[in-house]
Amino acid sequence: MQPTAPRAEAGRLNRTGAGSVLLRLAILVAVLALATWGVHLIRDALELQVRPDNEQQVHRAIMLGSVAYVGLLALPFVPGAEIGLAMLAAFGPAIAPLIYICTVASMTLAYTVGRFLPIRALERLLLILRMRRAAALVARAAPLSPEARLAMLLDGQPKRALGLGLRYRYVALALAVNTPGNSIIGGGGGIMMMAGLSGIFSPLSTFLTVAIAVSPVPLAVMFLGLRI
Amino acid sequence: MTQILQIAAIAVATLGTGAATMTVMNEDIPDFAVPEGDWKAGHELDGSSFEILGTDVASGAVLDNRIMFRDGTFQSADCQNYCDFGWSAYQTKVIDGVVHFTARTVCPDAPHTVVWYGTVIGDEVVLEGTWTTRRWYWTNQIAITATGVEDPGAADGASG
Repeated sequence: MQPTAPRAEAGRLNRTGAGSVLLRLAILVAVLALATWGVHLIRDALELQVRPDNEQQVHRAIMLGSVAYVGLLALPFVPGAEIGLAMLAAFGPAIAPLIYICTVASMTLAYTVGRFLPIRALERLLLILRMRRAAALVARAAPLSPEARLAMLLDGQPKRALGLGLRYRYVALALAVNTPGNSIIGGGGGIMMMAGLSGIFSPLSTFLTVAIAVSPVPLAVMFLGLRI
Repeated sequence: MTQILQIAAIAVATLGTGAATMTVMNEDIPDFAVPEGDWKAGHELDGSSFEILGTDVASGAVLDNRIMFRDGTFQSADCQNYCDFGWSAYQTKVIDGVVHFTARTVCPDAPHTVVWYGTVIGDEVVLEGTWTTRRWYWTNQIAITATGVEDPGAADGASG
């Protein structure tokens, strides 16, 4: 009888764990559904239509939004992705190609800054911009080896995942950029800056990785009719 | 020097990808297809002016406008207000006493092209057309239908 009790306890814990995951998943789906519904309400309320009398203003707003999107998304710990999502929500599939190239440009900019700007200069620049968290991230990375800097991207992952991440680093980079909640480790801009700082990502391969990694949402909006 | 070259290569790759993406994904929308026929430089409507009430086909928005003809040229008051289109040549063909006209107007300061096609019976006009804006990142088109009546009071100004 005695061995049965631990097994029963383990089974109960497993069921509890599975229930917890299901509950979290249900909450996440509910939050996403509510957010989508809210965005549609806002869009309907704005009655945003491109007309002859407002096209010039809409054009200026799109250009301004795009520049802000590229700049903010490239900065660590700055939530820039929301600008892109807001533009997709407001203008629909027609704006998807622009959002896509702005995202690629922003990620590439962050990588280039991390790769080619001296690390102390980057830290000072972020401090001048009063981005203390981003500067602290760079300062933490400064004394580390390239591999250890990559490990920062995979913060909190088990050792096995770290090993796989080092071996398939471009896949890891693509996954990290697309992972929801990656703002905790710096967001897309922070991840790309850290990838540049690590020195183990070649420019061409990184560019190709980014071009593929950020394509799912714009492509889904454009070709599959996904509505945000 | 190597670093500068690498940065330049990254910039070129980014711009090239952007250009390629736009070329492939930014689909053009053709202007309104005017019916074919024996179109000739128009003079039949010179001196006419029509008050028109139109609709943006997609959104249902109401468009209140005035179109004018003089010396073989055409102008829409709203287009003039929005983008200084000026006066553009119009063409006509007459079939069974009905004057068909078309005009293609281009904004000099922005990538707007407006194509008008209308028929005039007596003092009434029926119009169709498109306002197409071809920006480098998208093409936006507004399809318009409208009807209107001649406004004899404005004819002097239109013929001006």
